[in-house]
Amino acid sequence: MSKGSLSKLIETLSERLLTERREYLATLIETSSSLILALLAGGIVLAVLGYDPLNVYNILFRYGFGNIRYLLDKSTPLMMTGLAFAIPLIAGLFNIGGESQLYIGAFIALLAAYYTHSHVIGILAGTIAGGLLGAFIGILRVYRGINEVISSIMVNWIFFYLIIYLISGVYYNPERPHESIPIPKDARIYPISNISVIFAIAVLASILYYIILFHTDIGYKMRVTGLSTASAKYAGFNPDLSMIYSMLLGGAAAGLGGALLVLGMTYSIDDMLSAVYGLGFTGIGIGLLGRLHPIGIILASIFFSGLLIGGQWVELKTGAPPELADTLIGVIVIALAIPYVYKLLVSRLIQRRVIE
Amino acid sequence: MPEPIIEMENIIKIYPDGVVALKGVDLTIWKGEIHAILGENGAGKTTLMRILYGEIKPTSGAIKINGEEVDFHGPWDAIKRGIGMVYQHFTLIPTFTVLENLHLSLLALDESIKAEDVETLTRRLMDELGLKIPLYDVVEDLPIGVQQRVEIIKTLLRKANILILDEPTSVLTPIEVEELFKMLRKLKKLGITIIFITHKLREVKAISDRVTIMRRGKVVATLYTSKVSEEELARLTVDIDLTSKPKIRGGIRGRRILSINDLWVRDERGLDAVKGVSLELYEGEILGLAGVQGNGQKELIEAIVGIRRAYRGSIKYLDQDITSLSVGDRYKLGISYVPDSRNIGLVYEMNLTENSILTNLHNYLSGIRVINWSEAYRTADKIVREYNVVAPSLRSPIQYLSGGNQQKVMVGREATREPKVFIVSEPTHGLDVRATRFIRNMLVKLRDLGKSILLVSTDLDEIMELSNRIAVIYGGRIMSVGDKNEYTIKKLGLLMGGIHEQRITK
Repeated sequence: MSKGSLSKLIETLSERLLTERREYLATLIETSSSLILALLAGGIVLAVLGYDPLNVYNILFRYGFGNIRYLLDKSTPLMMTGLAFAIPLIAGLFNIGGESQLYIGAFIALLAAYYTHSHVIGILAGTIAGGLLGAFIGILRVYRGINEVISSIMVNWIFFYLIIYLISGVYYNPERPHESIPIPKDARIYPISNISVIFAIAVLASILYYIILFHTDIGYKMRVTGLSTASAKYAGFNPDLSMIYSMLLGGAAAGLGGALLVLGMTYSIDDMLSAVYGLGFTGIGIGLLGRLHPIGIILASIFFSGLLIGGQWVELKTGAPPELADTLIGVIVIALAIPYVYKLLVSRLIQRRVIE
Repeated sequence: MPEPIIEMENIIKIYPDGVVALKGVDLTIWKGEIHAILGENGAGKTTLMRILYGEIKPTSGAIKINGEEVDFHGPWDAIKRGIGMVYQHFTLIPTFTVLENLHLSLLALDESIKAEDVETLTRRLMDELGLKIPLYDVVEDLPIGVQQRVEIIKTLLRKANILILDEPTSVLTPIEVEELFKMLRKLKKLGITIIFITHKLREVKAISDRVTIMRRGKVVATLYTSKVSEEELARLTVDIDLTSKPKIRGGIRGRRILSINDLWVRDERGLDAVKGVSLELYEGEILGLAGVQGNGQKELIEAIVGIRRAYRGSIKYLDQDITSLSVGDRYKLGISYVPDSRNIGLVYEMNLTENSILTNLHNYLSGIRVINWSEAYRTADKIVREYNVVAPSLRSPIQYLSGGNQQKVMVGREATREPKVFIVSEPTHGLDVRATRFIRNMLVKLRDLGKSILLVSTDLDEIMELSNRIAVIYGGRIMSVGDKNEYTIKKLGLLMGGIHEQRITK
């Protein structure tokens, strides 16, 4: 990137931040008021079930957001699968395949790091693998007309069992038979003076996605395609290509998430995939909670991780069943996402009226 | 002395958000007349009529029907008083037959009425009016003009003797408009009072006995239509003088810039929509392409722009064959296109600036494909200033702008690209007098700068006013091409209906 265009980019970014202050402020007020409502509603649920709401919330937030490094580590893969859902949706596709894109990212990163002893190669290999798998689903959709939701779900299960087979049958660790071969010590990513490096990489990736979406022609074309295919064709864009790009970028995000997870947190994959299973699906909620915006997704992933961690502490400290914590998280997330989903619906309705 | 049937006195309507829609309006409608209500978009015509129909309550003011003061709490009160309204968008159920629709609307008045009774009543009414409507056809299969007749029949079956029509011609072809007018004259003979809302001057002259002109929530004048000219009407509708029509230069014709040779294009269903069209476009002219909607215009221009592929024939731009170039490459060569639908030409959720670079993105990219937004803001600002776009800011989502302002952004964007060939489809559709005048003047200005303009329009007045040459398309074929002065509106109407020239001259 040349120096001139970089400074111009920073200039427009800061200008944008200033002029859109009111918009951000409105979002902030809306979000905090829905959070208060959510906590009230959750409190009622807790009280009805015979728990002390204040005590539960105290544990939830104090322990959930208490260990910052663990919190940020935990939010890293979720941030990436949040993007994996959000980016294709901006171009009009529902990527439910964040699961398998994350599996393959983690697995390929593991293999690459194992053989090369390089975390950089591991990250790149995992990202590319996730991107290619995403693009494959995009290509099926565009050139074969196969609904991306269906193919994503099928691919999820194919890769789930394929990777279980490979880990338990081929790349297992002879010393620990329920685990894959480990990431070599020299290829692991460690925190630098207690700062989570994998989280920092994920944040940089999110910022890069923000720039791609709002400051490059690829992002512009993807957004036009998602809002109106007819307009995209009129403008001379190729909507098919935009869709494939969006799946490529989305899949790459999930692949990066898997790579960071295995290189920086777990250092191996267990043969039940229990460390990676579900992260892709959780990303759907993160993407919506973050309003399909890369920066919003950073915040959403931290918040959600805090709730997940805190929920486990609530179980531990109060003896409440795990379903209680899940219910509470569900109430909070739904309350936070509802205003956005409502707006999304209203704008679609307005658009339909305009067309009529 | 004519007898007033409706008297509206000092009607004021202030909406909850503080917008004053009507600022004290008086309106008297005489029994048995056709009364046009003329005004720009936003003048308050529709608000006034919705008050009369009981749909909204006035903030203050009185309504009298046959001399008796009424207080409507909903359309039902108005319907019981013999008022019927036909909206711009119909209220029929598309998947029901005509008879089922009529039955349904009468059931609301009389729960015990049978389908056979409705059929007898309808047939009697159709005989009286000399109309034929297939009662057992499903509504969505019928042409728009026929659907509109069903709406009118519906109100008449409910014993309406006052009929309000809200912009009834905006959805009709010229021939359908003629038929509507014939029907209205017949209704008038039967003693029905008709209120006709429009912003088209020609229709006021063609159909109404009296006309009330509204401007910004007030009545400007109520006049006998026969005693006022179209120019006077136009002057009264907008407060400044917009009536001076641009002069059409003749004779000076530049290079041939576009030549279309034996072009064949298929539509979505795979049927031939354009069947061997050949046309030429020269620098410094406006070629008007007239035709009833759906006769291949859309497919033809989309093929010229490259959005659709022609499967036979060729398109040449100067000396270059562009038949197989991409849309983007054709735009880069200097072709520009304003589609008939703002829904396609603009992305509603995106803001004004983002919309200003939609068709010209490559000019705002740096080497690494980063969009230069400050440059884009400059362009948006230029469009806003040069085309008098009213918008809260350059970052406002385009959907918050009024239709006229959206149109100006779309036309402005394409004109600002400085194209050599400018293809415009229905550029003034749905716009008020002022915005229409603005856009037409702009097209003429571009033409005078030597641009070539292909104007596709179903509005014959527009074609006649702006074109140097005219081509008529029917059934995917060009029926006739020639200088503007070879045509009259009547001749165009016949050609658009598929009547060949030889038979017209005969």
